[in-house]
Amino acid sequence: MNHPSLLALILLASMLAAKADSQNAAPQPSSPAADSGGKTVKLCDNKTTVRVASDAPKTRAEGQKISDSLMAQWKATNPDNNWVQGEVEAHQVVTPADNSKLVGTGQSSTYGAVTQQDVQVWKNETYKTAVYGSKVFHSGDELGSEIAVSCDMCHPRAANTHPESYPKFQPQLGRVALLRDMINWCIEHPVRGKVLAPDDPKMRALEAYIIAQRKGVPLDYGKR
Amino acid sequence: MNDTTKIPHIKSVETRYQEERETLFRGLHSLDRRSFLKVSTGAAAAAVAAGVSNHFHSFLPVNVAYAAEGGRSQGFTFAYISDSHLYVKRTNERFVRQLLRAVDDVNKLDPQPDFVFYGGDLAQLGRKEELDLGAQILKSVKAPVHMMVGEHDWYFDMGHRWNELFGAQTYSFDHKGVHFVVLMSVQEKDFWSVRGMSPAERMHTVAGLDNAVQSAFEVGAPQREWLRKDLEKVPTSTPIIVFSHSPLYKLYRPWNFWTDDAEDVQAVLQRFDRVTVLHGHTHQVLTNRIGNIQFHGMLSTAWPWPYAPQGLPALTVQMNRPNPFDSNDGLGDGTVTVHPDGLVDKLYNLWNRDPMQVKASYLSSGGKSDTPVAPTLASY
Amino acid sequence: MNKSDGVWSSRRTALFILALAACGAPAVAGERATAPHGALPMPQQQQRLDQLIPGLTTPPPGIDPTAWTSIYVPAGNELTADRIALGRKLYFDTHLSKDRTLACATCHDVSRGFTDHRSVSEGIGDHLGKRSAPTTMNAALLQTQFWDGRSPSLEEQAKLPILNPIEMGHSDSASAMAAVQSDPSYQGLFQKAYGRAPNYDDLGRALASFERTLIFLNAPFDRFSAGDPRALPPAAQRGLALFNGKARCVSCHMINSSNPLGTDNLFHNIGVSARTKNFEALAGQALGVLSQADNSQALDKLAIETDMSELGRFLVSKRRQDIGAFKTEQLRNVGLTAPYMHDGSLHTLWDVMDHYNKGGETNAYLDGGIEPLNLSEDEINDVVAFLFALTDTRFAAQNEAALREQQAIAAKTRPFRDNALAHREMLPFEQRVIGPAGLK
Repeated sequence: MNHPSLLALILLASMLAAKADSQNAAPQPSSPAADSGGKTVKLCDNKTTVRVASDAPKTRAEGQKISDSLMAQWKATNPDNNWVQGEVEAHQVVTPADNSKLVGTGQSSTYGAVTQQDVQVWKNETYKTAVYGSKVFHSGDELGSEIAVSCDMCHPRAANTHPESYPKFQPQLGRVALLRDMINWCIEHPVRGKVLAPDDPKMRALEAYIIAQRKGVPLDYGKR
Repeated sequence: MNDTTKIPHIKSVETRYQEERETLFRGLHSLDRRSFLKVSTGAAAAAVAAGVSNHFHSFLPVNVAYAAEGGRSQGFTFAYISDSHLYVKRTNERFVRQLLRAVDDVNKLDPQPDFVFYGGDLAQLGRKEELDLGAQILKSVKAPVHMMVGEHDWYFDMGHRWNELFGAQTYSFDHKGVHFVVLMSVQEKDFWSVRGMSPAERMHTVAGLDNAVQSAFEVGAPQREWLRKDLEKVPTSTPIIVFSHSPLYKLYRPWNFWTDDAEDVQAVLQRFDRVTVLHGHTHQVLTNRIGNIQFHGMLSTAWPWPYAPQGLPALTVQMNRPNPFDSNDGLGDGTVTVHPDGLVDKLYNLWNRDPMQVKASYLSSGGKSDTPVAPTLASY
Repeated sequence: MNKSDGVWSSRRTALFILALAACGAPAVAGERATAPHGALPMPQQQQRLDQLIPGLTTPPPGIDPTAWTSIYVPAGNELTADRIALGRKLYFDTHLSKDRTLACATCHDVSRGFTDHRSVSEGIGDHLGKRSAPTTMNAALLQTQFWDGRSPSLEEQAKLPILNPIEMGHSDSASAMAAVQSDPSYQGLFQKAYGRAPNYDDLGRALASFERTLIFLNAPFDRFSAGDPRALPPAAQRGLALFNGKARCVSCHMINSSNPLGTDNLFHNIGVSARTKNFEALAGQALGVLSQADNSQALDKLAIETDMSELGRFLVSKRRQDIGAFKTEQLRNVGLTAPYMHDGSLHTLWDVMDHYNKGGETNAYLDGGIEPLNLSEDEINDVVAFLFALTDTRFAAQNEAALREQQAIAAKTRPFRDNALAHREMLPFEQRVIGPAGLK
């Protein structure tokens, strides 16, 4: 995992949003009135604000200061904001395949070759899905468990989940099961939660996490 | 969910039968021993006829009467229950039910074990209500109970309630010629202060087996020093049985199947002729030998753990993958038969599977003889 | 069906159509038997069978033809019309019992769901055994026979009740063969079927061949599975969802086109006999007895005549995990085969649901898959509706009558209903361990 770059992406996005908001802040009638000596800059959450003196220099450095202040406040009031980092610190999540060799290779398309950014986007989005899966996997609350049970209690780091063996005949279900069928059975019975729709973001994430943790294991569908 | 308040309370014929049976059973306590024997004659008849006592846990013939003379120890049996991970009943009744099942098992052992050892992790999140519930259930164990602490009991209030209920977490005692030591092997370095964690957050972190934020388990220097002193006057010929919650060796760090200062503790135990370590935490059949020390895991009553992907001792004969459709599979309790020489045969009483016995002779021979027979159960 | 062996494969299509046309055997309500032990007289049973199965069967609808080929038929007993005809004659022949009061069809009565509607079966001299007669319908598709699976095939199964002292009571196979051959026509029938003189093993083989034709798998559920949503009423459809989900039935009662019976062919302790039996003492006793003589007849006696019957599969495997474990029974035509369980102790499917809803009956060997289900009354009704939809359409009227009968019983008495256990207020083992007051 390359967290610094992921963090940077999140920060960058937030900063852009904060800056945009600060430009719009003054004309909005609903924003707190500027007092004589300066004005209030508001974050895109519509709650977090910072006072800026009217004589503050309009430089890039000063803009960065305003943005940093807003973000620091927001982080303090939203401790879960960086759930990706928190999740990864607690639970190792295997990283997706490295596609950087594709950078610069052409597709003969209008827009040319694969860029570094393409590769980074693929990786970040894929990884985040698996990390969200890890969060759900490790939380009875996320799974809707009535008895405070989560997947990791029997499957630390998704051990013994053998996603490579699906689809397979599952005698106790009396039919061929996909990985998601088994996940749902576990949610309904050992976990005693509510079954998920096949396209539920939590189901998609759980599948992603479980498959991620078994990276490199050859597929062997139907294996008992 | 059912609205149970609308339904009149109805008891099945079986529940009513149980109530009558319990009343009768409780009445039996007031009978003198001779009358009691009369009552239980029928149950004992078959065993007497066969000339052996059938230890119902195993149907393996068990020699009840050990020769006291000659051996350093008289030989005896104790039972164990471990890793029940109780929530309060309204949160999760399944784990409560499973501990009750284990207590029912050991209460039915005939003959009764000398004592029952509890292997730690009585509670899931270290709350007072969880520990109190566990204490209430364990009060129903007929044999005397010795307790050990696990990390799930400890990291909410740092052992406060557990100590109130069960006394010191580190202690030793002698029984029929064997010196028993109970350690608190799940000390963690302070990872919580720097993160500003609340007690609940600290407990929650430790409760996640694969949570990498916590630190490695250790016995720690002060306790090692206590152990050294405790063993100082014990002759090397005395059999030693050590209980630790985590395995007293290094198996797999990412799941804390691990004790960080294991080598240092092993060094203190090295001079003794016969040492057995019994540990909880791993929720599976687990067997190891390091030098003079034989190691056995204990089964959980709550849920089974998979085997670690690396580091599994070569002497471990694995139980195969538990069936998730059977909420009791891979779980159980068990008994430990201490031979007159002080070494032990360990019985894993797996619920819904055949029991599995790991004999001292298997470990003493380095795996050459008496290889345990793993319960056969088709992979699901 | 009385022609030569070659007929078997060539007539399949025509017979298949005939089989479907025979739907709707007459209902039994009102009409009652005069034969001993409550059976419908043999000639009447045979008439009924003619209506049900007008010829040889083919792989019936709802079962995958590939799976049909995997059904166990021992070498040397391939199905032929002659073998089936001989088996059919034997099935209804009371010579098979010492006092000529019982045929196979007495306890496996065509008019009574191919069983006897009794808790435990009544043999010669009105002796009661310890086990409830399972249906012979679809028994050919089971991997083992008897409640404890002590016979690996129909061939072996068929030979045991004849020699059991309190079932059909012949002292040995010679005595049984002598009785049978008082009818001289058997000489030719055995010769035709097996090419040799009558003998006891061939008698078992012929009965097995006949039983392999008793396939009844054409139920509303199968039409629903094949894509007709109107085949199941809404209650049964909800029941099916519960069957596969909250009620956990499917974990053992596997049901699909390759294995349409609704059984995993395994053995589970669900606690039926735990209420009144001391398993440990019985197990010790059984080990003692079996160490003296361990053969199929000794086993049969323990299973049919003694309290050790309650040990179930343990008698066969002598494995502790099998104490009190019995075979998962098929669910096909289950509406017709009351009472239920190995000892017939549950009289309606509501009783069965009550038993499972409260987590079975607590005992040290209880299967871990059995736990309180927290099903509501509506949910129980839905599952029962689904179970009644597993009856072959040829018995539609009989099924309807059985449903009404069970409804009436259940309205009056539900002895196994236990709310506190079912809804997890009182836990299994709680009373045993803590005492009647339970946990604080």
